Amino acid sequence: MKVRKAVITAAGKSQRTLPLQTLVDRDGTSKSVLAILVGEIIAAGIEEIAVIVCPGDEEVYAAAAGSFASHMCFIAQREALGYGHAVHCAATFTGDDPFLLMVGDHLYLSQVEASCVAQLLESAAAEDCAVSAVQATHESKLPLYGAVGGHRVSGSDRLYQVEKVVEKPTPTEAEQKLIVPGLRAGNYLCFFGLHVLTAAVMRILGRQLIAGRADLSSALAEIARSERYLAHELKGRRHDIGLHYGLFSAQLALGLAGEDRDEVLSNIVELLARSHG
Amino acid sequence: MTLLNLITSASDDVRDQSLDRACEKLTGDELLAEADALDAFRRTGENLYHRVRALLFLYSIYRFHLPSRLEQVKSNGKPGAIPFKGYENLLGRRFEEAIDVFLQTQRSEGASDGISSALASVYQRLAFQTLADQVRRSVRSVRGNQWMFRMGHPADQPLRIRPELTRCDPVTGGYPILRERTPVRMDLTHCGWSDIFFLGMDYPEGARVLNISIDLAIHGHGKVPSPPVEASLRIIEEPVLRLTSVDLGCSAEISSLNEVFDFAKDYLGLLKAAVIASGLVPPGIEGSGQSLADLLGRVAGQGKGIELVSNVNNIPKGSRLAVSTNLLAALIGVCMRATGQASSLTGPLQEDERRIVLARALLGEWLGGSGGGWQDSGGVWPGMKLIQGTQAQEGDPEYGISRGRLMPTHKVLDLDDVPTDARRKLQESLVLVHGGMAQNVGPILEMVTEKYLLRSGPEWIARKQTHGVLEKILQALKTGDIPTIGAATTENFREPIQTIIPWASNLYTETLIEKISAEFGADFWGFWMLGGMAGGGMGFIFDPARKAEGQVRLQAIMTETKEVLASALPFAMEPVVYDFAINERGTWADLLVGKDALMPSGYYSFIIPQLLRKGRHELSPLRLVELDHFASACRDHPELHGMVHTLFDSIFPRSHAGGQDGQSLTELLQQIGFDRTAHEQIRGDLRAGRIGLAQNRLPVSSLIEDVEASDLTQYADISAATRELGVSALRNGEVAVVTLAAGAGSRWTQGAGVVKALHPFCKLGGRHRSFIETHLAKSRKTSRESGVSLPHIFTTSHFSHDPTERFLSHYDNYHYEGPLYLSQGRAIGLRMVPTVRDLRFAWEEMPQQVLDVQQQKVRESLRGALIQWAESTGEASDYTDNLPLQCLHPVGHWYEIPNLFRNGVLKSLLDERPQLQTLVLHNIDTVGMNVDAALLGHHLESRAGLSFEVITRRLEDRGGGLARVNGQPQLVEGLAMPREEDEFNLSYYNSNTCWIQIDALLEAFQLNRSDLGDAEKVNTAIRALAARMPTYITLKEVKKRWGHGQEDVFPVCQFEKLWVDMSKLSSIQTKYIAVPRQRGQQLKDPAQLDGWLRDGSATYLESLCEW
Repeated sequence: MKVRKAVITAAGKSQRTLPLQTLVDRDGTSKSVLAILVGEIIAAGIEEIAVIVCPGDEEVYAAAAGSFASHMCFIAQREALGYGHAVHCAATFTGDDPFLLMVGDHLYLSQVEASCVAQLLESAAAEDCAVSAVQATHESKLPLYGAVGGHRVSGSDRLYQVEKVVEKPTPTEAEQKLIVPGLRAGNYLCFFGLHVLTAAVMRILGRQLIAGRADLSSALAEIARSERYLAHELKGRRHDIGLHYGLFSAQLALGLAGEDRDEVLSNIVELLARSHG
Repeated sequence: MTLLNLITSASDDVRDQSLDRACEKLTGDELLAEADALDAFRRTGENLYHRVRALLFLYSIYRFHLPSRLEQVKSNGKPGAIPFKGYENLLGRRFEEAIDVFLQTQRSEGASDGISSALASVYQRLAFQTLADQVRRSVRSVRGNQWMFRMGHPADQPLRIRPELTRCDPVTGGYPILRERTPVRMDLTHCGWSDIFFLGMDYPEGARVLNISIDLAIHGHGKVPSPPVEASLRIIEEPVLRLTSVDLGCSAEISSLNEVFDFAKDYLGLLKAAVIASGLVPPGIEGSGQSLADLLGRVAGQGKGIELVSNVNNIPKGSRLAVSTNLLAALIGVCMRATGQASSLTGPLQEDERRIVLARALLGEWLGGSGGGWQDSGGVWPGMKLIQGTQAQEGDPEYGISRGRLMPTHKVLDLDDVPTDARRKLQESLVLVHGGMAQNVGPILEMVTEKYLLRSGPEWIARKQTHGVLEKILQALKTGDIPTIGAATTENFREPIQTIIPWASNLYTETLIEKISAEFGADFWGFWMLGGMAGGGMGFIFDPARKAEGQVRLQAIMTETKEVLASALPFAMEPVVYDFAINERGTWADLLVGKDALMPSGYYSFIIPQLLRKGRHELSPLRLVELDHFASACRDHPELHGMVHTLFDSIFPRSHAGGQDGQSLTELLQQIGFDRTAHEQIRGDLRAGRIGLAQNRLPVSSLIEDVEASDLTQYADISAATRELGVSALRNGEVAVVTLAAGAGSRWTQGAGVVKALHPFCKLGGRHRSFIETHLAKSRKTSRESGVSLPHIFTTSHFSHDPTERFLSHYDNYHYEGPLYLSQGRAIGLRMVPTVRDLRFAWEEMPQQVLDVQQQKVRESLRGALIQWAESTGEASDYTDNLPLQCLHPVGHWYEIPNLFRNGVLKSLLDERPQLQTLVLHNIDTVGMNVDAALLGHHLESRAGLSFEVITRRLEDRGGGLARVNGQPQLVEGLAMPREEDEFNLSYYNSNTCWIQIDALLEAFQLNRSDLGDAEKVNTAIRALAARMPTYITLKEVKKRWGHGQEDVFPVCQFEKLWVDMSKLSSIQTKYIAVPRQRGQQLKDPAQLDGWLRDGSATYLESLCEW
């Protein structure tokens, strides 16, 4: 499955300014979060990117994207009808093509040479099906994420066949339905904020919208029942910049993973020394 | 075939063979060899149930089979002391070490009755501990429960209150209330207790029950049946857990995690268990030192808290309808819904959610130190369902450990299984009642498990029979054939249930059935027992045309029968008849918003008086809004009509008159002639520490040694010629029996305040017989054999005299032909609140049986609360907060014989029968004693003034024994032992049966026969000797009943003087005779009865009786 399109959601009321924040990237240059994300997408071979924004945010987003703006279009979510609706706003853009879906308020740091996006696209291409990036997550974080249950694909140590998808499960439900053999006790595969999805997802969301409210997790649960759908435990970490100190943590992580590692470390040591003095 | 084969064989036929049968032909040495093999097997065996069966086999061998074959095995000929070290290990639950110590003694000194009893006890405890551990592990490992044990910090708490509950109502300003209402359950088949976890997990195919969810109302109160239990939850604006039990009248604001885990501190244990088991305060956080406010902030929002309220609609405890388990399930359900652990906030639960509520209820019961059967949460499911044990499959936590899963499966019966018409017919025929009795069924559940695992012959056949009964009932339900159901439930009660547990029925139940059968004849279709024991929840099935009449008559018959038996059996409440309806929807939740957001009305009648005592400024704005809201609801809601009166009564409680016949304690004390001066003296001594539990003991320098063989006579050594002496004395009418019947038997009914003498404790000669009737039956037989009627005296107290007199009169003295006297006690004590010093001594200094981990925690919490109670009520103050008769106590059986002098009974007897020489005195519960001619002959021949009977000691025989004290043989009371371990060096235990020569006794009092008419001289003599007798301080348990069948047990302090101390007197010669156990065994605890029946003691007793 070759993926040529990507959708970034950034229309949430509380997250609309997050992709516009400026961080120092691994190469030591200052960039917006949006530019970092788009850079990773383009580097992975995707050419067309749609960003779902609040009406009126198009211009600032285009500015924040900088030189990447030419690859992008901006789609306004006219009514705040939830995340599923936001994704579905890109239905015309994606058409019948598979697409990469990414949230605008996360940063992804790969622990290997290939970026997180590249790892995911590679597995989607190899397996020829929808794949969601997941990360083993402690049960105390379950109220924050969607989670999947399933079993490891034989012969692979990072791919899982998804059998269940539950949005923000309680640990009670997770323990009954989402236990994945091989994970540590109390850990579940939670969404990473990156998916490669097929057009079927847009069709399901469309159907849901006609019935009332669209919800991505239940659409993915339906996908799990109707087609091959995998989860990929990427070699990388996600950083939710919308959390308390989220932006700060993301910046630290970028700094420690990049060219300025020594400078960042000495700054931290100096801060620590002073705070004790 | 070895006994091991009965455990390990692949063939069901072999494994299901009875152990008793297999042991029949084995000699003593063979039994010991089998026991060695079983012990080796259970140490290495990997299969849990194999190990447990081996342990129970060992228990059975040492308890029932080896003792009768001891003469066949090699021993050193001594009765066999029990090593104290082993006993200490047993108390500390170090079972393996205890076994090793006892086995070592058996190897070095040979098998003995004493060491057998110790081994039996420890193997049995270890078996049940192993089973309980497994259930606990299984409860923890149920998926959905595991995470709660991992969570140890508020920051890890993943649960959040659903947003619907966190939004204030814009009009009223109050938070919505989530209310869960749950039916209770009844078990239409009585499943032969197959819902005990241990059974279901070993024999899942045999664990089947027909369980029905029902709504209830008290008949005649004009209300339609409704779900009897409800739980309500709402958000509050203080960072606390506010827990209120409306039914128990208790409320607390909890602000620390430690308090949440303190189960017995108050009456909120069930609510606390629900808060924990639902994951709101997960069990893993216990002891973490974290903040409850932080945890609640995480769940409900910063600065917020949760209020949880439980309510039971007038259904008493002990109803056998699993009220408390279903209330726990309702509480867990409401907490789970509120935190998103159920998909729907309101309405019914999904099947997987009901199962997790069941798993959590099991966890909650374990946390609270109790435990029901697996069918008890049945009210959560709708209508009628078949609940069945399930084979463990690969992937289950139980797989490879037990044959069955912990949790059963529920098949809700549809209209094809039970058509609507059949359901209607059942409701039109069945009368549900609560007979008023409340009893501890714990020992029964252990007996059932034991008999199942031993495959005891008749019980195993009976267990299979119960399956047939269930099938019969299911078929009859299909066709709506209610008479067949009635016949089947009656057959079940009469045959398999009572074959498995003879104690399931009692005189009260049998009397009710007899009377109803007589009145309704063929229109009474059947009796049906609910739960563990009859006497509480019961069903009577009538022809529908006579159901209404049946309800009226049952109420009347229960009330009048209870009246007769009130002093004989433990009744906790007045009997009631219910109206019931099948609840077809199971547990159900509603969200009450706006003006409807009200707690149950009982909540307000309980809470408002407390709020009114505070100033308006002390109440939070939310409370003020709520009060305002409730006031207007009282005006508008018809169901709150009368609330003003209720509130007024709560604020200004009406004074009540006190006790029996309206008599207050003060009046009763005056009437009895209570000696206030002596009482104050005792109080002073107690407060000053001059007397107390520690002061009961002999000086530590006392030398306590076991007696020599020459210090006593063995029963078997009494010659035929000596026996003839006894026969002749009997023929001459020289003997009378004195039965000590003044006490309440605190251990017999855990302080329920019934007269033990009147308790119909066992079916003998085809009927339930009281202790008193049994003793008369023995005297009857002796009288008939000797040709001279034996005078029989029962000593009574203020407490037991009137009931005994009424009872004997009601039963026409059981047609006893000989002279029958009641000797009324003349001494009385007023119980006191114990000193903290004594409570600590009893609980901390004395060796204690350590309980299973969670039960021990609950017990420690309860003891903490009781110490606080003693401090706040006033140490050594009068105990008056109970029924007057529960505040008084008899002052020890030493006084019973002098009372015969005082109250003229002895004089009358001597006037009537001047040839009378000997009295035989015995405890009410030494049922195997009789006026044995050999013992009488020996007593006369020895020329002793007193001859005490002793038996060889078993582990359970605690409380002193026969010892050489500083070289002198005498009986030493357990309370007086200077060191606990001294008792374990003694080979003989005092049975308290004592042969008394009247003239020698009078001489010890410095009296003679002619003085008995001189009251003053008699009183002076008694006082003089009483002053030489030690006074023991004891702690007794007393029940206080309140509410709807609720009971609290308090330790109270009392004093007593004991007859055994007569053996110290030099002025009367005392001798000792060792008698067989069947004669000297005392029945102190109902849990002993089953073993007593099985070891042949009951048969022996019957051989002594003529009814």
